[in-house]
Amino acid sequence: METKNRSWIYSDIVKEHFLNPRNFLMGDEELYTCDAVGIVGNPVCGDQMKMFLRVEHDTIIDLKWKTYGCASAIASTSALSELAKGRTLDAALAIGPKEIAGFLGGLPEHKFHCSVLGHEALAAAINEYRKKA
Amino acid sequence: MQQSISSITSPRLYLDNAATEKLLPVVQDAMIAAMQEDLGNAAALHAEGCCARSYIEDARAKVARLIHAQPSEIIFTSGGTESNNTIMETFRSQPVALSSIEHPSILESAKARASQVDFLPVDSLGRVDPKLIAYKKYSLISVMLANNELGTIEPLEEIAASCHAQADHITFLHTDATQAISKIKVDVQALDVDYLSFSAHKIGGPLGVGVLYVRQGVPFRPLLLGGHQECGRRAGTSNTIGIIGLGAAADWCWQEWSCKQWSKVALLRDELCERILNEVPYSSCNSSMQNCLPNILNVSFQGAEGESIQLYLDAEGIAVGTGSACAAGDLQPSHVIMATQHDAEVAHSSIRFSLPLDTKKSDIDRVMSVLPQIVKKLQGMSTIKLGAKHGN
Repeated sequence: METKNRSWIYSDIVKEHFLNPRNFLMGDEELYTCDAVGIVGNPVCGDQMKMFLRVEHDTIIDLKWKTYGCASAIASTSALSELAKGRTLDAALAIGPKEIAGFLGGLPEHKFHCSVLGHEALAAAINEYRKKA
Repeated sequence: MQQSISSITSPRLYLDNAATEKLLPVVQDAMIAAMQEDLGNAAALHAEGCCARSYIEDARAKVARLIHAQPSEIIFTSGGTESNNTIMETFRSQPVALSSIEHPSILESAKARASQVDFLPVDSLGRVDPKLIAYKKYSLISVMLANNELGTIEPLEEIAASCHAQADHITFLHTDATQAISKIKVDVQALDVDYLSFSAHKIGGPLGVGVLYVRQGVPFRPLLLGGHQECGRRAGTSNTIGIIGLGAAADWCWQEWSCKQWSKVALLRDELCERILNEVPYSSCNSSMQNCLPNILNVSFQGAEGESIQLYLDAEGIAVGTGSACAAGDLQPSHVIMATQHDAEVAHSSIRFSLPLDTKKSDIDRVMSVLPQIVKKLQGMSTIKLGAKHGN
């Protein structure tokens, strides 16, 4: 009999970022001082993401995130945080859903909206920063 | 949290029994033996056909005995979904009422065929109130015997009594007993139902074969046409091997008093529930501990999404179900949890444990050795501020 394939509907990179997410903010968000926060989504819809940015000289020097959502939502936000760190605000804004999905080795079609959400949370945080600046 | 070594070294722990049950060894033996025989098309008159037919009729008698029906009242189908669609075909263009927590195979097939579909509300535990049904308005009422997500057992006998007590109107009663069969005693005469559906793979039988019980003398219209099989009630060459497997499963459930065996699993289910509520902060129980199938437990964890919990558990070697929309792929949270809890967040954050018959205390310990940390991690990274909304 052939070996049973028990792999997930997600790529190995998605799985890795889901099980070991990077840069997430554990627990009380008040303890992380930052320059701007962006939030999108709604728990009622099943996904919500929040981005916390530290900015210096128009560059994201650090960022943290929180997510309520599925494996794809968690992995996408983790991937986005890796992609955005160290970029200028304009370069970070240029990160689109396709780049996130590409970084993750692809996302199932019905999960693609999750990566869009992460991108919007980052954009919301950058917009807030620019409004304040 | 790194993926633990246990997921590599420990055998898988399957707690998604309500989705499909492991094939019983006696079923496997019966099916393998049948595959090695020269069985013809059961509709044929030659020896090979007669042999297949005798196996099918033997299985029919065993299924009938299990639910206290006559063999002539048993129709073999391809599964619960076909049985349910057949009922709605029978009541095409007529007014029907359904519990709002029916399986989609009832909900969607009724919507596609009935002249009017009304949804019977349920309480927070998923129970229909028999007193609130306007029986006269309907040709058919369909209420499941036990719910697949919560395990809630519906008051079918009370519904049947009111349904059949009308002096001036006939309302027929169907029940989808897919989850209930083998877990609790199901007797079509005691329940006084006109139609009953179930599927072999939920009682240790094979996939792809099901049952529709049709009480003698009640209306019936076949779904599949073009053959005289099943006395003209279901066209298509009989799935002889599958039916043999179903017969073996029904026989096992009868001989071994499966309901009594399953009742022992309820103690482990109760222990799992108690430990979750005690050991996992912001957890809540969606299932009832009374009037519930012995093996189903549905719980929600505030701030932790169901698919994520499911996949973290999977990475630890444990399989469970979830009412999360993401896992289902249709973006709608469980209609069952929505009907009982009226809270999408609770629905998105729900997990269903459905224990198999051979569950051990050590299995509960294994779940509880990983679940609290998984939920804590997901709650910790969640945008949702944990509060007393539905937590303990």
